[in-house]
Amino acid sequence: MATRIGVDIGGTFTDLVVYDDQTGQVSVEKVPSTPAAPEVGCVEAVRRAAMRPGLLQQCEYFLHGTTVGLNALLERRGATVGLLCTAGFRDALELRRGARPESCDLNWVPPDPLVPRHLRIPIGERIDVEGAVVRALERQHVAAAVKVFRDQGVSSVAVCFMNAYANPAHELQAAEALRQYGFAGDISLSHRLSREYRDYERTSTTVVDAFVRRRMADYLDRVAEGIRQLGFNGECLVTRSGGGSMSFDEARERSFETINSGPVAGAEGAAELARALGLGDLVTVDVGGTSFDTALIVDGRPQLHYQGEIDGMPIQAPWVDVRSIGAGGGSLAYLDSGGLLHVGPQSAGAQPGPACYARGGSEPTVTDAALLLGMLGSGRLASNIQLDRDRALEALNKLARELHSDAQRVAVGIIKLACSNCANAIREITVEQGIDPRGLRILAFGGAGPLLATQIARELDIRDVIVPPFAGNFSAWGLLGSDLVRSSARTQLLGLADGCVQRLEVTVREMFAELESRSADQRFAQQGERELALGMRFSGQEYSLTLPVPWRNNRLGLSAAELREAFLGAYQSTFGITLDNAVEVIVLRTVIRRSLARRIRRPDDTSPPRSDTLQALYSFAQGCELPAHALARSALEEGRRQSGPAVIYENTATTYVDADFSYGVDPNGCLLLRREG
Amino acid sequence: MQAPGAALHVYSNRASSASDSGKPTEADPVTTQIIRHALSSAARQMKRATIRTAFSPIIYEALDFAVVLYDRRIRMLAQAPTLPIFVGTMGFCIEGAVQAVGGERQLEPGDVLIYNVPYGTGSHAQDCAIVMPVFLPDGELVGYAANKAHWLDIGAKAPYCTDTTDVYQEGVVIPGVKLYRAGKLNEDIHRMALANCRFKQPVNGDLNAQVASCHVGARELQRVIRRFGPATFAECIERMFDHGEHAVRQFIASIPDGTYHGTCHMDDNGVDDDPIRFEVIITIDGSNVRIDFSSAPDAQRGPINAPFPSTVSASRVALMMAAGSAREPPNEGHFRPLEIVTRPGSMFHPLAPQPCYLYGWPLMSAIEGIFQALATASGGKLPSGGAADTAAVQFYGQRSRTGEPFYGGGLSLPVGQGARPSCDGPTLYVPSLAQSHLQSPELMEAKLPIQCEQWEFTPDSGGPGQFRGGSGWQVAYRFLEDVMLISTIERTQVPGWAQCGGLAGAANRLEVEFADGHTETLRKVTNRKIPAGSRLRIYLGGGGGYGAPSTRAAAAVRRDLLNGMITMQHARKYYPHAV
Repeated sequence: MATRIGVDIGGTFTDLVVYDDQTGQVSVEKVPSTPAAPEVGCVEAVRRAAMRPGLLQQCEYFLHGTTVGLNALLERRGATVGLLCTAGFRDALELRRGARPESCDLNWVPPDPLVPRHLRIPIGERIDVEGAVVRALERQHVAAAVKVFRDQGVSSVAVCFMNAYANPAHELQAAEALRQYGFAGDISLSHRLSREYRDYERTSTTVVDAFVRRRMADYLDRVAEGIRQLGFNGECLVTRSGGGSMSFDEARERSFETINSGPVAGAEGAAELARALGLGDLVTVDVGGTSFDTALIVDGRPQLHYQGEIDGMPIQAPWVDVRSIGAGGGSLAYLDSGGLLHVGPQSAGAQPGPACYARGGSEPTVTDAALLLGMLGSGRLASNIQLDRDRALEALNKLARELHSDAQRVAVGIIKLACSNCANAIREITVEQGIDPRGLRILAFGGAGPLLATQIARELDIRDVIVPPFAGNFSAWGLLGSDLVRSSARTQLLGLADGCVQRLEVTVREMFAELESRSADQRFAQQGERELALGMRFSGQEYSLTLPVPWRNNRLGLSAAELREAFLGAYQSTFGITLDNAVEVIVLRTVIRRSLARRIRRPDDTSPPRSDTLQALYSFAQGCELPAHALARSALEEGRRQSGPAVIYENTATTYVDADFSYGVDPNGCLLLRREG
Repeated sequence: MQAPGAALHVYSNRASSASDSGKPTEADPVTTQIIRHALSSAARQMKRATIRTAFSPIIYEALDFAVVLYDRRIRMLAQAPTLPIFVGTMGFCIEGAVQAVGGERQLEPGDVLIYNVPYGTGSHAQDCAIVMPVFLPDGELVGYAANKAHWLDIGAKAPYCTDTTDVYQEGVVIPGVKLYRAGKLNEDIHRMALANCRFKQPVNGDLNAQVASCHVGARELQRVIRRFGPATFAECIERMFDHGEHAVRQFIASIPDGTYHGTCHMDDNGVDDDPIRFEVIITIDGSNVRIDFSSAPDAQRGPINAPFPSTVSASRVALMMAAGSAREPPNEGHFRPLEIVTRPGSMFHPLAPQPCYLYGWPLMSAIEGIFQALATASGGKLPSGGAADTAAVQFYGQRSRTGEPFYGGGLSLPVGQGARPSCDGPTLYVPSLAQSHLQSPELMEAKLPIQCEQWEFTPDSGGPGQFRGGSGWQVAYRFLEDVMLISTIERTQVPGWAQCGGLAGAANRLEVEFADGHTETLRKVTNRKIPAGSRLRIYLGGGGGYGAPSTRAAAAVRRDLLNGMITMQHARKYYPHAV
């Protein structure tokens, strides 16, 4: 018998989900987050789950989504980092790419680099674009750097040399010299993290890794120790920014791959659900307290990028494309000096929270508007919080007076504006992929996703909204399905000509061997599925298209001519044209994936029953209040469809069904809202 | 050419208001916001569609294009952050293209116009405008989607030019014709346009991307109007314009009334060697602002003349950035408080066939001049001046081993910006190219026969002051093949301005160390042959300082010393109190 535990740490709550592989049974815990020491909340959640005797001893996997790396970057709390760079290129990190992201703000200045100039030490060395040594490494420069680092209290060193992607020899020599001259701290070498070209992006990645790795390692150690003391004896995994998970041991060495660990779990869960239940192509509507997150799931996979960015710092690593805008349940509504209404991005957060939380908040939020309009039913939330309708009304009335309007109209305006902002964000991510949003279904989750989904669907002319079981804890649920993944990328410019396949194969074998050697865990080498993708482009272009290509028995399954055909087909379908130019390979991407046992059973809702009541509910479709049923999700009979409007309660979320939607639970356990007519 | 004293040209779009009553419209503030956001989102979708489908890095990396939506009266509904200097010209592009085909009555659904007359588009011929009229299903014309983008080539005398003396040397002129008529491609025009390009396939790819983005914009504009109904839409956009106007008027009203001067300098006009000096004069009157370019010299013999629409656009860019607290994507309303005065036949209002290939450079200096005047007016609330150039160097040739052609183009670079009123200046692109991106040396080495040697700040290059000007920096690379070099470098003689006791930083400079050992300082050149083994050094200038150097915090001076941003000699000279 095996179980797995997932813990997802949010800004307000730490969510835990336990899944029993044998019975398919799911149970959840929710404890307050402890931002100053996130491991405390995490271990506490596990301690509560462990009250079920024997649970932890049977548990095979602990899966974790964390924002520790992300917050370290955002709050600039990390190691004092020193950088060794090629002589002549000391300032690539600070010059960035020169852009002004705020083109309407003349006074804008970029954030300080993670390594100040006096800790960026130029080292005499040079390797050319072919990987040949132009100037040998000057070891005495490294010796001098070590002295500076000692004097300045540097605890972590990043090394990024020009063209190290083509030949890492000098970075390896520099690491050895650092040790020889007595540097005992952490060392991050750019080629170990990324062998893609673009020196600024690779330098930024290396510096980010050097900055967060100690903090991340210590955190993971504390979590592992905490849960082992409780009796857990299985494997500890943390989710990657690029999807899938990695062992805590690997995460200590490759912290930069975990930076966006937190937000991807929902997208990963949505993708797994789409594959398992055949839901088709989806767009996620994940609305929490402060933000609306959305991701596209096409053919059962989220969109994957090969570079991410945090606070203007690029990170060369696989990156699941989750977009975020400041529109959540706690987003504040206010008027600007020109008399127009705004919702967010400022949020009331957890403290003081929306006015209806009665914790001192007096400005109206999305949650206050929803409560006033009846969308939250009686206003009793999962964790036995009773929302205060009078406080919501008071806050909304204040805004109504400024607008010469009434509280209900203002509340309607707030919800409409928030939803139209969410719909705009979805339109933008779909047009980027050349996809018509009307052909998608919405998967709504997070505390407030199911609350706003029918309104967003109508804006986008989307017919179906799916609310998965455990909608409020769905991100934690999503953690449980993460495969173990290792990936690497290498820039290698190679025209599609005779002999190129053999040259590719040599590099790819080397890359897989490196992936296998990342830890002593032999299961990767033995059971892992090997995946290869090639970034290709027309000769002379910079943009490349990434195509998955078959890799079997250590051989590439395509000839040069077939690679060209595959590329031309992909180019035609992406850009609508094709050219007769030469085609070249620019980057090789390898993945080894070790799957956890598939979750075969459908997840079942376990909401406690509640009595069905009749209440007044505002309908956006009709523009007026209507009588509506408020009922528990668990009370819905499978396969039976009813007409909205309705409010449906479950453990950790509330679903609002507008009058133009029908609702019912499908045989797959999901709540399906469908726009009629 | 007109003599000084000829009739001045006065332009404003105050008349774009719905009524003269000045009464605010009663449109619903929520619906107005929803429509405003939907239009901005539509423009962002146009941007994404362009980036997704474009062929050339100058489009998808340097973002050398602009996308906009306009209403039927040619008022800007929305734009997406792209090339700022293009955005303010788009109304002129639409107006010119529509007029050229015989006016709005000649338009039908499915038409796509193509237009690149420099004096009409406010660009050089290489920037090509695509304009798509947008109709409702009942056949009513409701507005325009437009995209102007920099083409890699349009058959000028060189791939990039610094020495043209009339517009006919600057590329093929497409006078506003229908590229698509009722949805059908006009093959003749298409073939004709491409036949004149050195790089046909990429240009064709980029042209398709421009058209595709207009389809996205048109579809979204139709959707928004259908969703809210034409009457509500019409009412709400008036309120949206009024709202934008209000935000800018608040900024202008905060500046004391009066007349203020900005002084601008340029090295030369590309053909003659003489330096050029001109003034922009700003008059603040309540919440109105007038920017007067009429005292600028007559149009130059070389191509540093800025077509009138680009002069308007530069004024808009400068005002929007200065009023940055508005923090909202601009629409037509934001431009209403602005009046622009030019003198036809002058540098800022050239007439056909006066050359204008390098129109962007007088504008970079003019924008700094506008900031200088506004900084004086506001008592130092704006940053000091920057190095006002991109030091763009281009080179091309053939690989000696394979005969394969190479082209290193559009490598524009950020420069030192002026010190802020409360902190040191940064190193960024000039305001008119705000969203450009620096290319990576590793990437350049992978595709061009060069080896980069330097990518570093230049010590002592930022203007001294209480707050230091943004540091200049230097790029050096060695050519591994013979190349033909084109340089558009400007502002090598007079650095960016400083204020409140601050001092100027270093000016821009371009040097070639020839393989035979001699060194030459270059200015603007077209097709200068440089032999393999030579080294190019580009010194990007620094920004002007802010406040007296003697008031700079000692800790800041010590930090600059520690970081090597200044030398000890420089510190002793300007900051003796701190060393």
